[in-house]
Amino acid sequence: MSFLAALGQFCFFLVDLATAALRHGIPWRAVLAEAYKIGVRSLPILLTIAVFVGTNLSLQGYNAFRPLGGGRLVGMFVALAGVRELGPIIAAAMVAAKAGTEMASQIGVMRIREQIDALDVMAVNPLAYLVAPRMLGSVLVMPALTIIAVFVMLASALATAVFQLGVKPAAFLEFAIRGVQPIDLVYVQVKSFIFGVIICTVSCWFGFTCKSGPEGVGEATNKAVVTAAVTCVSLNFFLSQLMYGG
Amino acid sequence: MSAAPIPPLPPLPAAAGVGASADEGATVQALREIGRIGIFAGALAARLFRRPFFWSEALYHLWTTTLRCLLPVVAVTLPFGMVIALQGLEIFRMFGAERLLSSLVSVAVLRELSPVLASVLVAAQGGSSTAAELGSMRIKEEIDATEVMAVDGLQYLVLPRFLGLMLATPLLNIAGNVAGLVGGYVMAVWIEGEPGGIFLGNLWALTAPMDVWAGLLKTLVFGAVIGLVACYQGYNTTGGAAGVGRAVNDTVVQAVLVFIVANYFLTSALFGGMGP
Repeated sequence: MSFLAALGQFCFFLVDLATAALRHGIPWRAVLAEAYKIGVRSLPILLTIAVFVGTNLSLQGYNAFRPLGGGRLVGMFVALAGVRELGPIIAAAMVAAKAGTEMASQIGVMRIREQIDALDVMAVNPLAYLVAPRMLGSVLVMPALTIIAVFVMLASALATAVFQLGVKPAAFLEFAIRGVQPIDLVYVQVKSFIFGVIICTVSCWFGFTCKSGPEGVGEATNKAVVTAAVTCVSLNFFLSQLMYGG
Repeated sequence: MSAAPIPPLPPLPAAAGVGASADEGATVQALREIGRIGIFAGALAARLFRRPFFWSEALYHLWTTTLRCLLPVVAVTLPFGMVIALQGLEIFRMFGAERLLSSLVSVAVLRELSPVLASVLVAAQGGSSTAAELGSMRIKEEIDATEVMAVDGLQYLVLPRFLGLMLATPLLNIAGNVAGLVGGYVMAVWIEGEPGGIFLGNLWALTAPMDVWAGLLKTLVFGAVIGLVACYQGYNTTGGAAGVGRAVNDTVVQAVLVFIVANYFLTSALFGGMGP
């Protein structure tokens, strides 16, 4: 029951955000600043994670296919799983963990210090001033971060396959190219765009509804990252089914 | 309550850090932080073998962490099992080998997906709420109050939470294994219409009990990493409500970063990382 109530409030929040952004125009300067912050701060951790997810994808794919006599198939496995699913998911998870928690705790702190009320009193719409730039910023950088993650992951998977597992680079690349089509890159961008919207709105919403005191901020941050991650992964299933299923 | 007193922790960093100067590079700061985590881990380990051990606290935290993370873990591994089945079917249909699908799903879920995803979710849910809890206790000076009453804060507050996180992760990995396999079955049999008997018959073709044990071992290590980072960040929170937010943020990021890197080495060691 309280879940449904929260969902309803979240929908009203989205409607308010959209009307606020339309009415007050888009503050491009702030959007670029937020995009820079989200992108640059999340990049180092995202790159590290992408490298190690790539190595493991290669290891496990190789170990899974070797009993079937298909060690070379590892290229196809890496390309399919890495590009279509894991690339968007790890980018979303890391942006949620790094930038999303930051948004939730920053806005939460503003809420409990009554800075958001102060904005309201000064007739500055807090949604247009605080949330809209973060929203557009994350929508701008998410696709870029995802593409970077995908290619870093593929490169580290290739390196692992060649140097650690002794797969021939030509075989790896041949199967990798057979595994994905150009349209997959478009799908990846669509996914990451949607994930960017979800992460930002969910994190900002939990910041906005933050309860008072330090434990309120902690709880808001915690709920923001868990809700964003779970929503992205479950939605990923429906998107994949829509794009590749049937 | 102390028979053999353990030397107290070295003074913990204030906001600026003990002896940290502004011109010191990021590398030095990172090394300093690692050293502090090491000292913290040593202090926790010493208290593990020292009476009294707060059994009921540890069990309570194990129970609440498991319950709190159960829904997120299942909600993530189930759809991921489905997605793996969906994409796996595409590969195997190219070669006309759909019957091998369930073998691939069980390898992927048991060895890699469930341990990693369960740990990510434990870090995001259990780790961050532990950091938030300890952090707000630190900010409200509740930890200081505990210590003033001659109760060792590390022993009473931190150690049970650490053990709870460390032991909850393997338990949740079991739930993740089951959910991932169920997700694969639902996708392959109910949605894509593969025969269910073949799916179940080939489920264990490429996996052995060793894979489950290896997953549990991995998640125990990951759980220890999560617990250590969460307790360290929470216990050393400074700077008011904003500090609690920062502690939660750092917990999730650092814990995931460390155990994903550890995962590569563990996987290489456990499943053999060498070529033919």
